Amino acid sequence: MAATRTASRACEIFTTLEYGPAPESHACALAWLDTQDRHLGHYVNGQWLKPEHRSSVPCQDPITGENLASCLQAQSEDVAAAVEAARASLENWSTQPGAFRAQHLTRLAKAIQKHQRLLWTLESLVTGRAVREVRDRDVPLAQQLLQYHAVQAHTQEEALAGWEPMGDLLCSCRSDWSHPDFCLLPPGCTVVVLAPPASPTPLLLAQLAGELGLFPGILNVISGPASLGPVLAAQPGVQKMAFCGAIEEGRALRRTLAGWGPELGLALGAESLLLLTEVADVDSAVEGIVDAAWSDRSRVRLLCSLLIQEAVWDETMRRLQERMGRLRCGRGLDGAVDMGARGDAAHDLAQRYVREAQSQGAQVFQAGSMPSDSPFFPPTLVSDLPPASPCTQAEVPWPLVVASPFRTAKEALAVANGTPRGGSASVWSERLGQALELAYGLQVGTVWINAHGLRDPAVPTGGCKESGSSWHGGQDGLYEYLRPSGTPAWIPYLSKTLDYDSFGVALPSTLPAGPEAGPAPPYGLFVGGRFQAPGARSSRPIRDSQGSLLGYVAEGGAKDIRGAVEAAHQAAPGWMSQSPAARAALLWALAAALQRREPNLVSRLERHGVELKVAKAEVELSVKRLRAWGARVQAQGCALQVAELRGPVLRLREPLGVLAIVCPDEWPLLAFVSLLAPALAHGNTVVLVPSGASPIPALEVCQEMAALLPAGLVNVVTGDRDHLTRCLALHQDIQALWYFGSAQGSQFVEWASAGNLKPVWVNRGCPRAWDQQAEGAGPELGLRAARTKALWLPMGD
Amino acid sequence: MAFYLDLSWISKIQVNKPAVLRRAEQIQARRPVKKEWQAAWLLKAVTCIDLTTLSGDDTASNVQRLCYKAKYPIREDLLKALNMHDKGITTAAVCVYPARVCDAVKALKAAGCDIPVASVATGFPAGQTHLKTRLEEIRLAVEDGATEIDVVINRTLVLTGQWKALYDEIRQFRKACGEAHLKTILATGELGSLTNVYKASMIAMMAGSDFIKTSTGKETVNATFPVAIVMLRAIRDFFWKTGNKVGFKPAGGIRSAKDSLVWLSLIKEELGDEWMKPELFRIGASTLLADIERQIYHHVTGRYAAYHDLPMS
Repeated sequence: MAATRTASRACEIFTTLEYGPAPESHACALAWLDTQDRHLGHYVNGQWLKPEHRSSVPCQDPITGENLASCLQAQSEDVAAAVEAARASLENWSTQPGAFRAQHLTRLAKAIQKHQRLLWTLESLVTGRAVREVRDRDVPLAQQLLQYHAVQAHTQEEALAGWEPMGDLLCSCRSDWSHPDFCLLPPGCTVVVLAPPASPTPLLLAQLAGELGLFPGILNVISGPASLGPVLAAQPGVQKMAFCGAIEEGRALRRTLAGWGPELGLALGAESLLLLTEVADVDSAVEGIVDAAWSDRSRVRLLCSLLIQEAVWDETMRRLQERMGRLRCGRGLDGAVDMGARGDAAHDLAQRYVREAQSQGAQVFQAGSMPSDSPFFPPTLVSDLPPASPCTQAEVPWPLVVASPFRTAKEALAVANGTPRGGSASVWSERLGQALELAYGLQVGTVWINAHGLRDPAVPTGGCKESGSSWHGGQDGLYEYLRPSGTPAWIPYLSKTLDYDSFGVALPSTLPAGPEAGPAPPYGLFVGGRFQAPGARSSRPIRDSQGSLLGYVAEGGAKDIRGAVEAAHQAAPGWMSQSPAARAALLWALAAALQRREPNLVSRLERHGVELKVAKAEVELSVKRLRAWGARVQAQGCALQVAELRGPVLRLREPLGVLAIVCPDEWPLLAFVSLLAPALAHGNTVVLVPSGASPIPALEVCQEMAALLPAGLVNVVTGDRDHLTRCLALHQDIQALWYFGSAQGSQFVEWASAGNLKPVWVNRGCPRAWDQQAEGAGPELGLRAARTKALWLPMGD
Repeated sequence: MAFYLDLSWISKIQVNKPAVLRRAEQIQARRPVKKEWQAAWLLKAVTCIDLTTLSGDDTASNVQRLCYKAKYPIREDLLKALNMHDKGITTAAVCVYPARVCDAVKALKAAGCDIPVASVATGFPAGQTHLKTRLEEIRLAVEDGATEIDVVINRTLVLTGQWKALYDEIRQFRKACGEAHLKTILATGELGSLTNVYKASMIAMMAGSDFIKTSTGKETVNATFPVAIVMLRAIRDFFWKTGNKVGFKPAGGIRSAKDSLVWLSLIKEELGDEWMKPELFRIGASTLLADIERQIYHHVTGRYAAYHDLPMS
């Protein structure tokens, strides 16, 4: 009977030639869930932890809604237990020789390899993602990452001398288990992962790691709501918090964690831009769009926007729409399916957006028709939605793609860079010159030329602007979890009484304090290449250590900061386009000028109460710093060789843009120069607030800069430090901020930086040894003074 | 048949090789076909095969064997089990050298079927003979009873960029074929770049080819997926521009049943269902059929066949 049924089907299929189901058996995933009696807890210290009296959430099949298991939700006690386990194993783990740790990581990679079917069916089962993406991309990538880290661990003692692991690390991975930092076990760190509710894959991975024996506590996974993030960060000993998730969640976390101690690494959103020029291989570009938008690359919502040159708009649209008709939605566990379902919430979100866009006049294209009660949402292409329409500003939900036209390459850059986000982008052009120009001009973390979504553990992946500035993979990914040897562990420096609304708002009124003794210091704010009167038209007295008046400096305010930032922005394009050699030459010229002015500077320092010998050494060291950074900047960026890619990947180091620096009170000249030099060397333009107690040496340097540097390259604003810090930290158009001052100031800066999520570097109120090589001119400054961009250049004709 | 010569169709074309290679890799893993779907698809593949023998030692006897295998490609009882025995499953054609066309025609007539005989021609495989003899070769093969002619193009014209001259040559081939179908072999392994593959495809179609074919099977690189993707895109572009459907024939190196499934899914993905029939899709192969028959055997019986379970060709 069964035979005839089969036979008649074959006959029918012979005519229709349709695709049949190609299901992956998920029996092993269910069997694994059964080992836990369909009741998942947390995996801590090599054991399952199933505390009582906890709420649990169901883990459901996103298509049928069938209950697969229930997952316990952690509470703060569970969090504490996990962190305790990680801390307990830290000492044992981090003191092992690198070669030994490398072996352990390799064993974990092997364990993943041995149980990969379980991993990919489980992940696909509970998320609904197309199984082939998990199987062919995520699992191999996880293995490769572990291998990469094993190799790094092996050579760590030599290659990364001068750096040490941060130690106890916390990683809140919101949704994507394939996100590298999940299983990454960075050099010498132990990890606690806060997995989102109802996601068993991280738990399985932790179990695989735990069952290797030896170091059960290095990878601990608890599952619970995102609101536990701050609770985790507040646990004593936690040094680093890596977070991937939505931008607004990241912003909130940044505010909550201000002052808590652990360094925060954000990888937010997942925006992808595809830029299609008129000299593109359109068919291949269409495949790139499909890869980026409709192939279940990641579980997080992937925002995808499309910029198409007008000359090829019609052709691209036709090909894209034709291609969309061939995409297949279905159960993720089917091997022949391109897109799975993401549950009702995602469906509704997409539906709402489509309605909204249509009401604003957009054209919406969906290939085929989907019954309204279907759990699947068809691939959707939205066009005719100019940047000003409210829909374009909103986050575009999965699986929608918004396409807009552009006329010239210049306009494409303006449109592409005109968003607060900066994730990844691909450029489709067969003209090398044009492709490179676009790739260099895009403000994003990764650019692929004529490809999209390639990954490799040796290539850093990250973003800029509001997409967060933390990195995964490659050297940059390692530095995220290292710090210069000898740096003390971070501890909370939180001041509960700090009122963010009033910090630095009021300017203290300053009154005349009598005549200046000795030569008057240069007066004014150094903005746009010359000394200018402050907007407030008032001054503040500067006294020496004995309290006698040294002179008056200008009292800068919000308007002056605004002017300084504008001047810096104007100077930025010119300075960025200078060659490293030209930048070095200018730094050396400045060094020579400082040398000429040495007697003057020494006497200024002496009048601030510095001993003659120390003052001389400070000037000498400052000159040396300028020269050293000038020389160092020549060797920037590098090409990486990547498996599975013919062609290089360039690791570019690009300027941040306008960098604001609040200098410390100590070492008024040396700290000023030590911070200024790397910033300039890496192509940034700078707004500086000099030492509050003794700003005069910095102003002396400004006199030299007025003659030597292009106008606006360096801007120095004196005044009340808290007030100026407030203005800088809240400024949306400053790309990074370094703050060296009080603990309260640091906390405020961290809090306020959430506005545009600018990377900040604060000293938490701890002084730094600026005269020491490691702290005053170490590689850390260079790392922080520029951002990385990975540029993929596949080759072949 | 309409003819077009519009060099602007090929002047602006861009083909990005790394991207095409990636697509070629993806396509092989994205559309698995299983169970009864696999059986049905494999039978479809059988009907698209140009069962080929192109050897120096071909004689009347092995050509005859080939022809009978073309008529009875799958064991009768296996087809019966699938209820496909009365669907007239044969291969699409038999493909031989010009000197063997007579043998093939005779054998097929004896077998009582109207499977077309295809002949390679025009100085196969190198095409390095005089135009006059190449044209004469076509005429003779047609006279002998070949109804499909697989011509090779002059690679020299492609590599030196003489597109108009290439068009003119293929036009003459077309004329020489008369009523016979013209399949134009591009010998893609020797064209130097994928962009050239696209351009040569377009010229061959403009000059009136019924099929474009990847390779002779005698070059070092034969039918590969990247090349196929480029040719299929050219076919689609030509269809969009003119409304004419041109067929596609990969040949050389296609040996496994699994390969043939990938080829079918590639056609389905790039061109659509209407191209998945022998009028528009052929596979040039000799050993592929044996592997397909083995797979069908396994599907029907649940066992793996021994070598002697299936009749040879």
